Amino acid sequence: MSTERRLPRPRLRTPRDELADSTAHGNVYLRRLRRAQLSLSLMALVAFGAVFGVLPIALYLLPHLHHTRLLGIPVTLWILVIPSSPVFIAIGWIYARRADSLDAAFRDVVER
Amino acid sequence: MTALLAVGAVTLGTLGLGAWGVRFVRTTSDLLVASRAVTAWWNAAAISGEYLSAASFLGIAGLELKLGASALWQALGFTAGYLALLLFVAAPLRRFGSYTIPDFAEARLRSPRLRMLAAAVVIVIGCFYLVPQLKGAGLALNVVVGAPYWVGVFVVAAIVAINVAIGGMRGITYVQAFQFWVKVFAVSVPIIVLLIHFGGLPGRSALFGDRFPHAGRHGLTVKLAAPQQVDFPAAGSFTAGGHRYTVAAGRHVTLPAGRIRLPPGGIVPMANGIPPERGTEWSRPVGGSGEASPLLVYSLLIATFLGTMGLPHILVRFYTNPDGHAARHTTVRVLSLLGLFYLFPAFYGALGRALTPQLYVTGQTDDVVLRLPQAAWPGPVGTLLGALVAAGAFAAFLSTSSGLLVSLAGTLSHDVWPRVTRGKPSGVATRRRWFRIAAVGAIIPPAALGLAAQSVDISILVGWAFAIAASTFCPMFLLGIWWTRLTARGAAAGMVAGMVIATAAILTGLAVGEPDTGAGALLAQPAVASVPIAFLTMVVVSLRDPRRLDPAAEMLALHAPEGLGLRLADESAPSGDLVRNV
Repeated sequence: MSTERRLPRPRLRTPRDELADSTAHGNVYLRRLRRAQLSLSLMALVAFGAVFGVLPIALYLLPHLHHTRLLGIPVTLWILVIPSSPVFIAIGWIYARRADSLDAAFRDVVER
Repeated sequence: MTALLAVGAVTLGTLGLGAWGVRFVRTTSDLLVASRAVTAWWNAAAISGEYLSAASFLGIAGLELKLGASALWQALGFTAGYLALLLFVAAPLRRFGSYTIPDFAEARLRSPRLRMLAAAVVIVIGCFYLVPQLKGAGLALNVVVGAPYWVGVFVVAAIVAINVAIGGMRGITYVQAFQFWVKVFAVSVPIIVLLIHFGGLPGRSALFGDRFPHAGRHGLTVKLAAPQQVDFPAAGSFTAGGHRYTVAAGRHVTLPAGRIRLPPGGIVPMANGIPPERGTEWSRPVGGSGEASPLLVYSLLIATFLGTMGLPHILVRFYTNPDGHAARHTTVRVLSLLGLFYLFPAFYGALGRALTPQLYVTGQTDDVVLRLPQAAWPGPVGTLLGALVAAGAFAAFLSTSSGLLVSLAGTLSHDVWPRVTRGKPSGVATRRRWFRIAAVGAIIPPAALGLAAQSVDISILVGWAFAIAASTFCPMFLLGIWWTRLTARGAAAGMVAGMVIATAAILTGLAVGEPDTGAGALLAQPAVASVPIAFLTMVVVSLRDPRRLDPAAEMLALHAPEGLGLRLADESAPSGDLVRNV
């Protein structure tokens, strides 16, 4: 473990020092993390948009769907009421795990 | 009577838990955001409990009854808002560690004047959002004990003001979590019992087929307090004052006050402002013009998706998470809790169309959740279920109004008051006193507006609050957290632009009337236009602003994970570590 190893003095500057002093190097580390987090969030947003962003226009363009019944209830209503929350939870859960692992990777770099 | 007892029990439970919480209140920080150490499930239940308001409990089903299945997009958007919050805001904002939205505005953009602007927007959104809660309370007490509308508004306003003034938020975290489960129980059990009782959805020809709503096998009696203008979508008849009147299809009639009798299977006339729709049109989620037009559906989805993060009472609660990681996982739990709740309101609207068509005559479609159990199953079972629903509705008003009032009072006592006293130092006791005075004072304008807004749909009122939040705070958060070039001037310009456009559209829409055209739809729900304009204004003004910020320290605070000794708020780190000297 790096924490147990005694660093020689004068000690080397670690990524953590760069971050704490907000040097150019430190800013690069942080920007990399921020961009990675942002692109993860945007990917999750695209996944959400692919399912629900197109739903209103798809239902609008496919009026036949409304006349198809499942257990006597139009399929469109099933689509609207039932699958939303499982999909939300799935996207949210996968996102939260990935975001945590990005944070963990950053922590590893900084504590190296 | 049963209903009154149930409502009383919920109210006393709320006040009792609030008073119990007082014993733990020690500092102003406790009052504002509890102690930042509540477990993820407690916190998720509390967030959901605070969020599920009159709009969720009564409004969605009411709007569905009135306009059809297009109202169900609202439930989807209300949940999706937490996904946006999770993806872009939850963890960074928690890490940043501000207590309130104005705190964030000042700390991120280093501008005390922006703080005041944000405080003003908090107050506007809070008031807009409190009005429908108090409206719901007025309706509920009217249904439960027949009290006049204003009595319910006044009673709930008083209860909430007292509760917030004595308890602050520490008490309310547990109260909100308790209320969430009260609401889930109260919304699910009655509708499940009724669906089993009827063996599914009754009256399907009016729901999904080609019929208009019609009276049941025994006819329908409607009591009108005042003369009511109605349209007969098809030929029908009614009896009033001993005379029988026959009405041709499409005729506009004024029904006299008193008892109106519709014959068995007769066509139900529709009050002014309710579009007469056959089952096939009513149950279409999108299509045609008006409320179900794709443009309006998208505008509503944008408002709810992006507006949730800008609701002042929601963000404050995220600070009760211990760290950014916990904030993320709490939000995922919120998604599942809300998903559970939103399974049910749709069924109230559908059952209501078949079983309480008298609401089409009176125009009081927001009552459907409260009136359905008794109308569907007359007798003790219906009374009991009705009491349960009323108690849940009361939990909804109490919890959301309390949360909103905490934010309003916090903003007034924390942001506005120090400005008024020009930063004179004040002790903890003084600030707490101001918080309490603010809590009592801040309920008055929304209560007055609530008395005036009796005829506006709960869902519409709530939609406006979301539109304003999405057009002001959402761009400030998204750009402030993820874009280094945002400046205070840019943020202020964008917030003002979004606010002005959204409010102007809403007020114009109110003056013009029903949204039948594309332009009308935009006036009713302006988010699809006002949100992009707010974003664009923020970006353009920031890029042209000569005074650039170098937000390295702010970005570190927003995005660096905990436990590295880099952050002011790290328990493990010595304080002041953000600018430490090696």
